[in-house]
Amino acid sequence: MKDMQLALHGLAIKKHADAAAVAEITGLAPAAVQAALDEATASGRTVKAGDKYMLQPAAQIALKTGYSRDFAAQRADAAMQATYDDFEKINEQLKQLITDWQTMTVGGQKLPNDHTDPNYDDKIIDRLGRLHDRAEGILDRFTAGLSRLAVYKRLLATALERAEDGQTEWVSDARCMSYHTVWFELHEDLIRILNRTRIE
Amino acid sequence: MSKWVLKLGTGPLPDRNLIGGKAWSIARMADLDLPVPPSFVITTRACAAYQAKGDFPAGLEDEIAEGITWLEAKTGRTFGRGPSPLLVSVRSGAPISMPGMMDTILNMGICGATEAALAAETGDAAFARDTHRRFYDLYTHIVLKSDIDGFDPAGSPEDWDAALAAGGDMIPADPVARLHASVRAVFESWNSRRARRYRQHHAIPDDLGTAVTVQAMVFGNLSDISGTGVMFSRNPVTGDRKPYGEYLARAQGEDVVSGRFTPRPLEAMRETVPLANDALLIAAERLEKADGDVQDIEFTVQNGQLYLLQSRSAKRAPAAAVRFAVDMVSEGMIDETTALDRVTPDQLRSLLAPRLAPGEADRAECLASGEAACPGIGIGTVVTDTDEAERLAASGVDVILARATTSPEDLHGMIVAKAVITEHGGSTSHAAVVSRALGVPCITGCGEGAVTRLNGRTVTVDGSAGRIYAGALRAESPNEETDGHLAALRAMAETHAAVRVLPAGSDAGVPVVDLNTIAGGEDPANLPTLLAGAQAATGGALATDAGMAAAIAAGVRTVLGSPVLPLLLSAARAGKPVADRETIAVSAST
Repeated sequence: MKDMQLALHGLAIKKHADAAAVAEITGLAPAAVQAALDEATASGRTVKAGDKYMLQPAAQIALKTGYSRDFAAQRADAAMQATYDDFEKINEQLKQLITDWQTMTVGGQKLPNDHTDPNYDDKIIDRLGRLHDRAEGILDRFTAGLSRLAVYKRLLATALERAEDGQTEWVSDARCMSYHTVWFELHEDLIRILNRTRIE
Repeated sequence: MSKWVLKLGTGPLPDRNLIGGKAWSIARMADLDLPVPPSFVITTRACAAYQAKGDFPAGLEDEIAEGITWLEAKTGRTFGRGPSPLLVSVRSGAPISMPGMMDTILNMGICGATEAALAAETGDAAFARDTHRRFYDLYTHIVLKSDIDGFDPAGSPEDWDAALAAGGDMIPADPVARLHASVRAVFESWNSRRARRYRQHHAIPDDLGTAVTVQAMVFGNLSDISGTGVMFSRNPVTGDRKPYGEYLARAQGEDVVSGRFTPRPLEAMRETVPLANDALLIAAERLEKADGDVQDIEFTVQNGQLYLLQSRSAKRAPAAAVRFAVDMVSEGMIDETTALDRVTPDQLRSLLAPRLAPGEADRAECLASGEAACPGIGIGTVVTDTDEAERLAASGVDVILARATTSPEDLHGMIVAKAVITEHGGSTSHAAVVSRALGVPCITGCGEGAVTRLNGRTVTVDGSAGRIYAGALRAESPNEETDGHLAALRAMAETHAAVRVLPAGSDAGVPVVDLNTIAGGEDPANLPTLLAGAQAATGGALATDAGMAAAIAAGVRTVLGSPVLPLLLSAARAGKPVADRETIAVSAST
């Protein structure tokens, strides 16, 4: 993928983001993203409000149409597709884990986890660590098919380590690159690359 | 004299650093004269010796064997053979809890011969087979670290061995060899990448080591006078001062968790095992007193004899948190500082959050219902397009985001929505997970077309009940002044807070700095500058403990906001207790 395509692809995953955030998940240099998105804004493919860019509907369609060409190699790669099936299995576990993180059962009632019980939280972060160990193997397999996906492994590890160190918002907070945020963007990236559909 | 192994409950309470947290809590229950399944612990000293040598130190295998013999004598069962097989659990336990340590292995001691013996003893061949399979699962994942996906429950141990062999793995046949391998796996986990990194980051010495607890497993499914359950020393939902729990006769712990059986209220225990029930009530009271907090106790009754498996501070609903704190102060069990520490400002906010006024739901038309994914009330106009939701919200409209499902592309709309409703997906769906992370009321899985057809309508979403009503219903907050327990907590917080807190809009008598109107006012780090010289403040980062502490340190003496109680609690937790309010008045006026 060319820098422009990749910058637009990254923006499509983030939806509404500044150049640094797009650079973070695509592995492009922030300056390269900035240049690409400013150019796209000039040609009407994106709009810029403040520091943040958004893809225009027509550009969104053009981007998706281009995927069959951009990701032809990955889509034809049986190993990549098989790895995605394994990812789906672990994805189910991750979703359950995040749900367990956010909720707690008290006397048979399901309530939001208020994070007042460090014991409960530690156990789930420990589970997340074990899940991460398995996810790394899967990410390595993805990376073999598309090297830029390695950035997700690093972002996930960073989120996990922060959570382990007691900054618990790094588990699932939607407003930072928490484990769940990164995981979800990775999932979205994979769906676009491999032309899969999301299972709810 | 044992060098590496300690039998728990046989002497004075050992040092936590020597036996680790898990063994220590078992030893402590034994020390309180409460019934626990017999256990021994391989000490952190043995772990240190293992790390130095790269192998078991001399004498450790003999001491483990002696420990097993002791468990056999205490339980009247035998390890690795029938007719009454002894099964044990193997757990890691460092003095400080840390990530990356080995998970628990259950059912150690099961093998072909003991599976048959257990089937005969329980009269339940399926249980014995399942016990065997779960051991295979745990051992394979934890000790062999194989990625195998799980063994066919319908298969035989020979099938499972074949599946392992296909991946180049095997489980040793000898139960003692399995036990040794598991102990090694615990010691090895001390040096796992995550454990090492965590110790480094938290300056925990590498030679602290982890202990290994080996505990006899007890069976709740041996007879009609056996069973398993959980109990809380007080009701964790309402806070009532009355034990609360569930009991399932003739069942193992995992039966309760699996949801295959419906447990009965704790009172049902009296019918079959009244003596065990008496013992449990005594244990709950003793543990609560010893810990000074409400306990959550897991227990099993084996042939009429009660065994406590675990006891810890109970998780609690917000209402119970307030009631426990207030009641335990009046009972003289805890002091006020402890009580104020046991309730968080967020719990109070959730308790004081608006809910539908009584009768409102009965009168209203229910338009759709689904899974209650995140509690709370949201009232607004249904919008099905995420970008439009963001636009409308920016112009001041209260929006309810309705989508078939959500994806990361919907995040910006979810952030601004008063509630999120979806047609597909359950409690683990993206919509549910993200809404909970944002604290936005959410209902998922309302059914095809059920919520997008509401586009443009005004609705009330009750995220706690999972129901969507037509129109804007009346919602109201519980009164923080008339509720007895809240009022008592407020009185406590007032004596410990270094500031006075007035309802929003009150006349403070001095100029008030409104942090909501100042750039950066939402970040506690900016408060020392923004509040320098201010006497009264409101809004922004004052809603956080850190912000409140910064405001107090900056010299603010009056805070305005509603509800009052969460702010007051933050203030009480932030500051040093202030014994003399007049001192403040004096220092504030000078």
